Amino acid sequence: MREKPPLDIDAVPVPMTTEKGPTLWRSLEELADRPEVRRQIEAEFPDVVQASSIDRRTLLRLMSASFALGGLAACNGNGSDGKAPLLSQSRTLPGSTPGVPLTVATSLALNGFGRGVLVKTQEGRPVKIEGNPLHPASLGATDVFAQAEILSLYDPDRSDTPLRSGSPMSWEELTNSIRPVRNELVVSEGRGLHVLMPPTSSPTLHRLMAQARQLFPFATFHVFSPVDDGNRRDAALASFGRDLDFVYDPTRADVIVTLGGDLFAEEPGHLRYAADYQARRRMRDRAMPRLYAVETRMSLAGARADERVPLRPRDMEAFAQALAVALGTGAAPTTEVHPSVPKLADALRRAGSRGLVVPGREQPARIHGLAHAVNAGLGAFGTTVRAIEPVRSADDGTGTLADLVSAIEAGAVSRLVILGGNPVYAAPADIDLASLIRRVPLSLHLGQHRDETAEVCHWHVPEAHPLESWGDLRAFDGTVGLRQPATMPLKPGLSVEELLGLMAGQNLDGQALVQATWRQAWGDGFEERWAGALEDGVIAGSASPTVALTERFDMTAETAAPSTSGGIDVVFVPDPSVWDGTYANNGWLQELPKPLTKQVWGNAALIAPEMAAVFGLSSGDAVDVTVEGRAVRAPVWIMPGHAPGAVTLPLGYGRRRAGRIGDGIGFDAYAVRPSGRPWIATGEIGKAGERIPVVSTQRHHSLQGRDIVRVVAPDQAPAPAADQPSLYPEWPYEGHAWGMAIDLDACIGCNACVIACQAENNIAVVGPDEVAKGREMHWLRVDRYHAGDPADPETYFQPVPCMHCEKAPCEVVCPVNATVHSSEGLNDMVYNRCIGTRTCSNNCPYKVRRFNFLDYQGTDYVASPEAMNPQVTVRDRGVMEKCTYCVHRIGAARADARVEDRPLRDGEVATACQQACPTTAIVFGDVNDPASAVSRLKQSPRHYALLGDLNTKPRTTYLARIALSSENG
Amino acid sequence: MSSEAQAVTNTVADVPLSRRFGWIWWVALLASGALVLLLGYTLISVAILGVGVWGVNIPFVWGFDLINYAWWIGIANGASLFAAILVLRRHDLRTAVNRFAEGVAFFAVICAGIFPIVHLGRPWLFYWVFPYPATFQVWPQFRSTLTWDFWAISTHAIVTSLLWYVGLIPDLATLRDRARTRAGKRLYGVFALGWRGSVRDWAYHQRAYRLVAILVLPLILIMQSTVAFEFAVTLVPDWHETRQPLHFVATGLAQGLSIVLLVAVLLRWGLRLGRYIDDEDVDLLGRLVLASALVSGYLYLDEIASALLAEPVPQEATFNRITGDYAGLYWTSIVYSILIPQLLWLKAARRSTVAGIFVGISIGVGVWFDRFSIIVGGLQTDYLPSVWRTYAPTLPETGLFLGTLGLFAALLLLFVRFLPVVSMFETRHDEHEEASS
Repeated sequence: MREKPPLDIDAVPVPMTTEKGPTLWRSLEELADRPEVRRQIEAEFPDVVQASSIDRRTLLRLMSASFALGGLAACNGNGSDGKAPLLSQSRTLPGSTPGVPLTVATSLALNGFGRGVLVKTQEGRPVKIEGNPLHPASLGATDVFAQAEILSLYDPDRSDTPLRSGSPMSWEELTNSIRPVRNELVVSEGRGLHVLMPPTSSPTLHRLMAQARQLFPFATFHVFSPVDDGNRRDAALASFGRDLDFVYDPTRADVIVTLGGDLFAEEPGHLRYAADYQARRRMRDRAMPRLYAVETRMSLAGARADERVPLRPRDMEAFAQALAVALGTGAAPTTEVHPSVPKLADALRRAGSRGLVVPGREQPARIHGLAHAVNAGLGAFGTTVRAIEPVRSADDGTGTLADLVSAIEAGAVSRLVILGGNPVYAAPADIDLASLIRRVPLSLHLGQHRDETAEVCHWHVPEAHPLESWGDLRAFDGTVGLRQPATMPLKPGLSVEELLGLMAGQNLDGQALVQATWRQAWGDGFEERWAGALEDGVIAGSASPTVALTERFDMTAETAAPSTSGGIDVVFVPDPSVWDGTYANNGWLQELPKPLTKQVWGNAALIAPEMAAVFGLSSGDAVDVTVEGRAVRAPVWIMPGHAPGAVTLPLGYGRRRAGRIGDGIGFDAYAVRPSGRPWIATGEIGKAGERIPVVSTQRHHSLQGRDIVRVVAPDQAPAPAADQPSLYPEWPYEGHAWGMAIDLDACIGCNACVIACQAENNIAVVGPDEVAKGREMHWLRVDRYHAGDPADPETYFQPVPCMHCEKAPCEVVCPVNATVHSSEGLNDMVYNRCIGTRTCSNNCPYKVRRFNFLDYQGTDYVASPEAMNPQVTVRDRGVMEKCTYCVHRIGAARADARVEDRPLRDGEVATACQQACPTTAIVFGDVNDPASAVSRLKQSPRHYALLGDLNTKPRTTYLARIALSSENG
Repeated sequence: MSSEAQAVTNTVADVPLSRRFGWIWWVALLASGALVLLLGYTLISVAILGVGVWGVNIPFVWGFDLINYAWWIGIANGASLFAAILVLRRHDLRTAVNRFAEGVAFFAVICAGIFPIVHLGRPWLFYWVFPYPATFQVWPQFRSTLTWDFWAISTHAIVTSLLWYVGLIPDLATLRDRARTRAGKRLYGVFALGWRGSVRDWAYHQRAYRLVAILVLPLILIMQSTVAFEFAVTLVPDWHETRQPLHFVATGLAQGLSIVLLVAVLLRWGLRLGRYIDDEDVDLLGRLVLASALVSGYLYLDEIASALLAEPVPQEATFNRITGDYAGLYWTSIVYSILIPQLLWLKAARRSTVAGIFVGISIGVGVWFDRFSIIVGGLQTDYLPSVWRTYAPTLPETGLFLGTLGLFAALLLLFVRFLPVVSMFETRHDEHEEASS
């Protein structure tokens, strides 16, 4: 059984009170007077010791002998045989070398679905998270939330003490208080006990829930998440008579049509889908796939789509219906057909079983149903989509938040246990969960923060961070990944598994709980499989099998007629930076420019340019969004490509009790979210007449007709740049010459590279005021440009790290040689030499240099020193910094190669941005090696240098984006 | 010494030697002293907190720091060029305005010199631009314009102070001889370098004075050009132009002359030195100011002409400076430094104290806006639209600028109080010549 430190506080030995304390000596005299020293002196200088009277000379001899031998005695402790090393060795894990990072494979949850990650730990503390290449939801890539989990682990606001009515209590008090309550519940068989938790895919949790149900047969489990999949479930029930999850395979799709949602950012398998879609685009033996996005606000998938159809939500159903009809399923359309329908239907028809329609989470069940019908009609089931048992299956009898609310209102809840999540903050606006919980006689909240929910519960128990605790999670396709601690607990806390285990009468040992689940599943051979699963991070072959579908389409079912009454559609979406609010206290995510708006530190109501013109609004004007009588004041942001007649409200902001970072940032969209229509509601907006500053890192969004992002047809190449003369002689690069190629056709703008760079390189978070002044520190930024009609623009993403120009303009203008070229072609920044003239930034045409205008490492926003990567210098104020091509990683790989006496292999050095990228848009390597991946990319006809005519000879170059012609092909 | 010459010496020398100086001087000194305190405060705050207290950002890494640096250098250059030409040409006007033209130049260099150091991210390491034998054997980057700038400004400070000081020596001796206190005698005596007024002394003095004045001539061109190179050598589209040094030299000269005019008119009025800085002198100065403003105007036209011939990106950058967010700076500059000086076509305006003050300030303001327009407006439309932003100065930045104005004024006030503002020996020399002819 693992011991919780605070529970044992009385048993902790106090050094000063023990009998055999540490052998410290407080003065040289004391040292020289110790018996072993005296014995040595007697043996060495018998005459001195025997001398009765001591003269000055003898005294000095005695003293010097005492000190010299005393020093030796200090080295050899009591009873030492002299063979022990003089210095104690640092504690190490078996197989680890101090200074060499250890990697731990584990899983992290997003909305209950697991993504496999590898946690790099340095001397026992996690410093970086990478994707787990063996995990199907990651394939080695990460999303921004996984990257930022490091910062959440070291969050100083994490709860570390149990609370009773808001005041701290000891863990002992907590156990003493819980025990009688539990005993009482066991006796009453759980009458009045309700458990509220987020949906989970964990087999261990499911097992423990089942156990708890046996013990408390009258208890009820409720599942609530603000990012709810109710529409999908309802549609599966209506179409197939059972709850199902759907797994897509973009590698086999020729045509993908998304109806809302975001295939590349919000689907449970978003990383995998992005990777697969790009893999499909790269297949040379098949024609380019086509991606059509029918959506309201612009999503990452929509930005990447070959064609986008901006559509307000109330027209979506008619669109889907018309699409289904055009493909021969469903009843005749009732309204006039959208002009894009025939084209999409034609494309899908030609793709046949290689077509795919993906409905978004927020779309009503009927659209999901229509999508199923179309997919079935195309024969896509079994090719591009398959149905599996729901990954987050909760047993029958699991209630919803609404059930809990009615139970509390009926006075049927006497004991409420909230296992994780923050339902008080995230509950819909018409549910006053805070006062309902206050009506429950006894409530307990397990959470990582003393958040809005902790505030109203009687007891609050700190929850262990996922990187500190044991568990298991299933990915979007059902594959199980184990969650194992990557660090000793930094703060005392319990995991959901442990608390549920305690309730079910198990011991407080997360590892044993998880092991028990799998011992039960595997029987013999457990030990071997367990070790293998821990090492890999995934349990091989655990993906869910495809469910054979008994089709039961009910397309004639009458649904609510599309509301054509007035008002505008209000769409709620999880925020790309803070999701549902879970990550609000994470500085990296708060300062991460959102992919499409580039907004940081807050959210904004997204509206179409057309609507902004109608209402006379510009970005930053405040509006009051009213839904069902409730209003929230929000700044607007004009999003090109947003459908008119609708407003999109990102969730997750306006937190009151998130912590020192997240409190009071943005507006709370939950405040107007109706429980009846949690995703798409109808409301009004009215100009509020004030301005709420919206901080964005990019102020200009057009390419100004410049040749910055190049777009080519599939077989076309951009005009090659002519070689230009240079005043400076060519430098021969013998050995390695590092370079990077960024495929703009692959980049989906997901920001994983930006935050990976931030985590890897200890990049400071500077806060909203500094970003508003234009001083964000990201070494790698993703520029987003729009081209064409603002109502339906083309959208391009362009990651811009340092170009490492061979003729670097920054180098010649630095008066003190603080930025210089390495023999391998890196443009190195010598922080210690920099005096901060900032001339280098002036002369950098790419403006990738970042300056420490103030002491950014000394602000409240900065991560705990423990979260810092020890391989990378932390920069002072007054110093310029920029992308280094992860020079420390190059150094580490070179050292490894030298130890093994072999040349560096291609692919051995991966920069942090490259490693995180789901679509392998970023490739780094040795351009001197013609066989390297980066060299081959640079041979591509699509290859070009950004601002190549300046003749800076950048080492970071781009591959042009491919645009398909708009005809069907 | 004739009685008339005696009178000259008395009038001029009485100023620094009298015990009382009037309340206006005290009020002015107090006001400028307060600004010097503000300067100290802003310098300390930027040293402790970092340049982030200013409005600078990426891409506007330079703001008021370089604007004011370039502006003060312009004043220093224009004034010392003017003084040197007068010395070399033995122009009549030199007797009247030389001394304080030199003083203006020297004090402006002091004000300018503050900025390159304080604008550093880590100002305490400024000496790293100096090629000293460091143990780690790193030398400055000699291709960097900032290294050139370091040499230019240090040379400039030395030569300008020499020009001013060498000219002062005979008069310091006079002050020594006339000092009423022993301490005064000692102090002036040390700086008079044992001047005895012998023919040998005079001969050496003339040679040294003219030698330093000759040194000033190329230096001025070099100094202004070096400031311009800091912009012209970069890749920034609007800055990367070969005409940039010419623009800086010409507008800087106009600015220096206008400040000399301003100070001359003020002194004439304030110290009642009308007899020594007479109408003809001021009239001539006015003509010079007008001529230099016309040259500046020509260069503004040239800028538009070269933008029309430029490639699209620099063209867009220049036109954005003229019509974009920062267009106000550009047009303010045109009005103040080119249009308003056209007043000086009128003889009455040239001889009017009020007009002199007005035009003098006007050109100073205009050229300041010109520097602002170049350094900020010129940077706005860079190569990648994604990084286009805006810059606005903050209070600490403005305070720093006001502080240097205060420092400049305080130095001038102390100068008129403790040193002869009009060259006594030259005036006597002139009057001797008149008497003997």
